[in-house]
Amino acid sequence: MDLRHRNNVNVMGDGMATLVFSHGFGCNQAMWNYLAPHFTERFRVVMYDLVGAGLSDLVAFDKTKYGTLDGYAHDLNEIIDAYAQGPVILVGHSVSAMIGALADRLRPGRIAAHVMIGPSPRYIDDAGYIGGFKRNDIDDLLDTLDSNYLGWSSAMAPVIMGAPGQPELSDALTESFCRTEPDIARQFARVTFLSDNREDVIGLTAPVLILQSSDDLIAPVVVGEYLHRVVPNSTYCLIDNVGHCPHMSAPVACATAMHSFLAPWAVAHAD
Amino acid sequence: MPTDLFDSAACALAVTAEDGTILQVNARFTDWLGFSVQELCGRRFQDLLTMGGRIFHQTHLAPMLRMHGSVTEVKLDTVHRDGQKVTVLLNGNRRQLDDAVVYDLALFGTTDRDKYERELLNARKLAEALLQEKTATEVALHQAQAELKQAYAISQRRAMFAEQMVAIVSHDLKNPLTAIRMASDFLGRGERTPKERQLLGHIDQSSERAQRMIADLLDFTQARVGHGIVIRTAPLDFHAVVHHAVEELRVAFPKATLVHHTEGDGHASLDADRVQQIIGNLVANSAAYGDPQRDICITSRLANNACEVAVHNHGKAIPEALLANLFEPMTRGTDQASQVRSVGLGLYIVRELAKVHGGDVAVSSSAAAGTTFTVTLPATH
Repeated sequence: MDLRHRNNVNVMGDGMATLVFSHGFGCNQAMWNYLAPHFTERFRVVMYDLVGAGLSDLVAFDKTKYGTLDGYAHDLNEIIDAYAQGPVILVGHSVSAMIGALADRLRPGRIAAHVMIGPSPRYIDDAGYIGGFKRNDIDDLLDTLDSNYLGWSSAMAPVIMGAPGQPELSDALTESFCRTEPDIARQFARVTFLSDNREDVIGLTAPVLILQSSDDLIAPVVVGEYLHRVVPNSTYCLIDNVGHCPHMSAPVACATAMHSFLAPWAVAHAD
Repeated sequence: MPTDLFDSAACALAVTAEDGTILQVNARFTDWLGFSVQELCGRRFQDLLTMGGRIFHQTHLAPMLRMHGSVTEVKLDTVHRDGQKVTVLLNGNRRQLDDAVVYDLALFGTTDRDKYERELLNARKLAEALLQEKTATEVALHQAQAELKQAYAISQRRAMFAEQMVAIVSHDLKNPLTAIRMASDFLGRGERTPKERQLLGHIDQSSERAQRMIADLLDFTQARVGHGIVIRTAPLDFHAVVHHAVEELRVAFPKATLVHHTEGDGHASLDADRVQQIIGNLVANSAAYGDPQRDICITSRLANNACEVAVHNHGKAIPEALLANLFEPMTRGTDQASQVRSVGLGLYIVRELAKVHGGDVAVSSSAAAGTTFTVTLPATH
């Protein structure tokens, strides 16, 4: 299995510990362009595209394997094994925060710490739990996805898939940003928004930094607070930001909070 | 842009702050959504969308605007003041001011086109569902075919095994039968009471029949699983061979009246034993199904370098339906359970023997004329 090809893995920076950046629903690793450069001086930085997104190998998209988040968690562990050096800190946005939690549960101890940006263990309201959404909101989203291929078409596919490792890679990544093959987008939307990972996060023992936007429709403050309450070893940090992507719209505030959380591993590098 | 041009533009226009807060809208915008300028300014653009649109805005639109500085042709459902959905196409552009970033948004009403696109989408979904159904049917068909093929192979193996079994058993039956005949011969040489002679006669006839059945079975298996029936031809007097066979058959079928006619003259090159076997099987068949009160007529003919032997009986006509498969193994002329019949291989073997000589067998049957089996063999093989 060629992981580099499958997940369009990119490695940069240098350090004793490794930060693995895992993007969320809708986009690709280009979303880290604003935040990741803050860490390449002190950490080894690994970024990748989830299978089905960005420049990943669409041929590898197996409907059954990626029918649950476990399929993605399995891939993440493979990438960690192949590319990480030293302690591993997972930086996961949105659904990838939960993929990280699942990867941790599959291989306890392998991930030293989690940075969760806009995480939500469950999007749909439940008895005694506010996720912010109702079941038909998700159907409405699927409908909107159906109406918007965002420039995706079969003619576009070869350009978007490109060839990982080529110089024009970063151009291709930004070019293909948020463009996903429609069938895959539908399935990933369903898997993301209908999953329930409340049980999985409760069992996490590694340190967790929760970066919560002050105004986020997808992951509201109540959800961030809920997570901080149930995850025992968690640090809660409220970022003054509107929207679900503080790493894009408020990268400096995110980087500042992360630097202090990551200090123990950055010190290890200085030794 | 002059205010009147801004307000009367043929599309809804808005300027928002980076977080989506509406700073300015034109009259078209307020018309379409039913809100006043005062109500709209200060609200966030994304809050005017349906929930699905808001999620999409957060996960796709906002990141794209930040990354590319623009988006085009995004279809969204906005919600009118009265709760009705208004479908729009959105183009957006990022604009850097001295101290801030704003987004210029242009919205085009697309409700009718949206209906058309939904119809296309539904048609596509239907086509995909049908395709999936077709594919599933094809898969099921392939599976059924594979299963059938496998079942056929299994039944062929079983048939082969059964035929081999028949070959082995028939062969093994020959030895005890020979011992019975030798013992009965030996007993027949001494002084016997009439009753004992009668019983020995039964033993002789029964073992003769058993031997013929075994011979039939062996020939059958030879034809089916072996290398075919082997013949050894030699020049012979055809009429004499038939005559000899009829003589022997009179002993074997004492209750039947066998009449032999000859036509034509000459020699032929045939396997004498096999010719006798052919006649034997046909006579046995006539004895079983013919009218026991009337003659069984055997005619041997030589003409045009061909030999023919015809066996005729006055039996009931063979039903039309049975004629076609009469020479197949295990086929009987009638369903009567006659104790004189063998296992139903007689006519099959006749045909095989005729074929191996380069000839064939034919049958004609009617209530008026009776039944005639005619075997034609080339005089020289």
